[in-house]
Amino acid sequence: MSDKPLLQADGIAKRFGTVVALRSANLQVEPGEIHALLGANGAGKSTLVKALSGVHRPDAGSIRVNGELFDVRNPRIAAEAGLATVFQDPALIPDLTVEENLRLTNLPSEVVHDWLERMDLADVDFEAQIRDLPLPTLRLLDLARALARDPSLLMLDEITAALTADQAEHVFAVMEDRKSRGKSVLFITHRLGEVLRMCDRATVLRDGQDVEVCVPGEVGEAGLVQAMLGEVAKATPDESSALASLDEAPVALETIELRSGDEVRGVSFSLRAGEVLGVAALEDQGQDRLFELLSGDRRADAGEIILADGEALDARSPYDAVRKGVVLVPSDRLHALLPKRPIRENLTTPLYNKITKWFSLAGDEKQRVDSAIDRLSIDTRAGKQAGRLSGGNQQKVVVGRWLASGFRVLLCFDPTRGIDVGTKQQIYHLLRELADGGAAVLLYTSELAEIPLVCDRVLVLYDGEIVDEQPAVNATEQALLTAAHGISEEVA
Amino acid sequence: MTTARLGSVRDVDWRVALRRYGWNTGVWLLLIALLVFYASTIPSFGSFQIASIAKNSLPLVFLAIAQAVIVIAGGIDLAVGSMLILSNAVAAQLMDEQAFGITLMVAVLVILMAAALNGAVGWVISVSKVPDIVVTLATLFIIAGLALLVLPSPGGGTSDGFRALFTGSATGTGTNFWPALVMLFVPMLGAAWWMKHSRTGLSLYATGSDPTAAYLSGVNTARAKIVSYAVGGAFAAMGGLASLAITGSGESRFATASNFTLKSVAAIVLGGVALTGGIGSVVGAAAAGIVLFVLSPVLSAMGVDPNTAQVIQGALIVLVMMIAGIVQLRRERAA
Repeated sequence: MSDKPLLQADGIAKRFGTVVALRSANLQVEPGEIHALLGANGAGKSTLVKALSGVHRPDAGSIRVNGELFDVRNPRIAAEAGLATVFQDPALIPDLTVEENLRLTNLPSEVVHDWLERMDLADVDFEAQIRDLPLPTLRLLDLARALARDPSLLMLDEITAALTADQAEHVFAVMEDRKSRGKSVLFITHRLGEVLRMCDRATVLRDGQDVEVCVPGEVGEAGLVQAMLGEVAKATPDESSALASLDEAPVALETIELRSGDEVRGVSFSLRAGEVLGVAALEDQGQDRLFELLSGDRRADAGEIILADGEALDARSPYDAVRKGVVLVPSDRLHALLPKRPIRENLTTPLYNKITKWFSLAGDEKQRVDSAIDRLSIDTRAGKQAGRLSGGNQQKVVVGRWLASGFRVLLCFDPTRGIDVGTKQQIYHLLRELADGGAAVLLYTSELAEIPLVCDRVLVLYDGEIVDEQPAVNATEQALLTAAHGISEEVA
Repeated sequence: MTTARLGSVRDVDWRVALRRYGWNTGVWLLLIALLVFYASTIPSFGSFQIASIAKNSLPLVFLAIAQAVIVIAGGIDLAVGSMLILSNAVAAQLMDEQAFGITLMVAVLVILMAAALNGAVGWVISVSKVPDIVVTLATLFIIAGLALLVLPSPGGGTSDGFRALFTGSATGTGTNFWPALVMLFVPMLGAAWWMKHSRTGLSLYATGSDPTAAYLSGVNTARAKIVSYAVGGAFAAMGGLASLAITGSGESRFATASNFTLKSVAAIVLGGVALTGGIGSVVGAAAAGIVLFVLSPVLSAMGVDPNTAQVIQGALIVLVMMIAGIVQLRRERAA
């Protein structure tokens, strides 16, 4: 082996439309090491892995394998060069059987079967369709498929997130095995304990850049968290609203033992009028499903959602929820808007249900649209199509249309994802203002540092359950991150 | 608990098998039921009727296979009917007054030409990213226009041997049903095997089922699209050759092209191919093609007038889809 790194990525940059996913990321993986890639949500970990495996072509930067410049044009070329990836979403074809999936990728099923056997999955039926198999099995199957190529670098994007503890042990054994054979592993995870235990080195990404390369064992968990967060901009919270009075405020929405599959496992909380209630969680801890249930996109298996007047939400579709005043601001703004239609029309979309005069909106509703535009300072001249607005302005339009139509409970799912700091401030200010005006706001944000700035209380969701609740003023990012990693649970 | 969650599905094998092959079996049973019913309503049912049904359903069966291959790969081709009449026209012009050997060579040539032409359509779609339905709506007119240029008025012809190859007799009518059955089953089973057992065939399913996952597993999704259109073109050409063999002369009519296209879509839907791609098989589509063909003689044997028969055909498709939808819903609820 030469002393050249197995993989060297320099200055990798990638943007999607107006969102910058990677600014300039560097990464070096040596032969025979287990290397962790860390970072908060949205730091660019997955994008970097996808650039290294040929899914996204970087806008700038170079990738070298064993010192040779390497143009990763597509996943097949990456795999042939010894870079095998287990992606966050299994790359298996749902309508084909296991055996057909292997044939598709030209892998001998005996080799894959051997690997499955080592992971206690010898009983997987190769004639079963992928869509009939549970997610953990699929992830391990994807891993077995990657291993069958005997890659020099195995990239694992949050593979342990969906696995049980004993399954994760199998993955760790595989990683150790790779290392002992002089092969490398790039390991992405949110679980810092796994990093401390398994990884030789770690590269920490923040805002699309690498900020630190360290030895996890030396810096410890606290050091890793510190590196992931960077210098937390200490903005002072708004003059804190009278918390005591909140306890007497009427409940706007209450859930009782809400359950849905494995994702939401008995969630009970109450949201009061005039309150911004934060939800803190790592990725895939059930927050997506919880918001789907609350916004009427999906029905719960068990449990109840009760509104202010004691009425059950019982929504069959988002339309029902909207009629009862429960509205959603999703993270994917283009999903919520009609991107090719003008801004004004987007603001009036929810009003379509309320049209009182044929062919034109009632007068006061026109006024409401105007006032929403004013309040949010949406730049209506910016473009005739909502899709051409910047991410921040698009999100303002989404909030604005609910302002125009009226609501009681505002569900915000990571509304500031990929939005610049200035607009972020405006959106948070607006949420605060809405709450002070009597609205109830439930806010999930992947940016934990912002929870104390805007929320009154915060719930911590871990593995589909609420594991912690605290007043937001005390919720430092460190405390939230610790709770969100389920660490407090182990201490208890 | 963990092992139970991860466990194999072997213990519910029959349910999985039923789900996977249920639709195919259902369509074939429906076909058999229709044939039995038909046999019982008419005074005599024998080899003449079998031969007649087998050979006359060939064009639609081939077209249904063509459409199924393309839709399974995630596309849709509104021009299969035009490709049928173009192949029919070209073959009728070139085969007229020729010996059997020549006509066979022409047939191979026509199939290759149609595959190349339709493969080019697939290439345009995958390069331009214009939706399949838009591009093939345009080619529906373009290819039908070409067919009219080649054969402006009905005419041309073929060799007796070539007619016998598809129909069992030089005149296109008779009681020998074997050639038609062979032409029906051999290409169908060949295509079905290729789709499920070759890597290229599987890449069509993969691309239609989940293009992202297919791309991530290293499938060349652009190539899969082109291949699906090329194979579809070849089968559409088979349809054109079959109808030339049945009638003994060529005919280019736009109404034939558009009608056949619509019927091919109806056939694959009835045959269990999901319009969203990735699900279904050419075997089901082929059976549904025969069902759609057999319905008209069955209904006329029952004394239903042709206009009402159209309504019943349409209603049947909706009914089958509704039943399938309800079954699917129950399955999801149960899961």
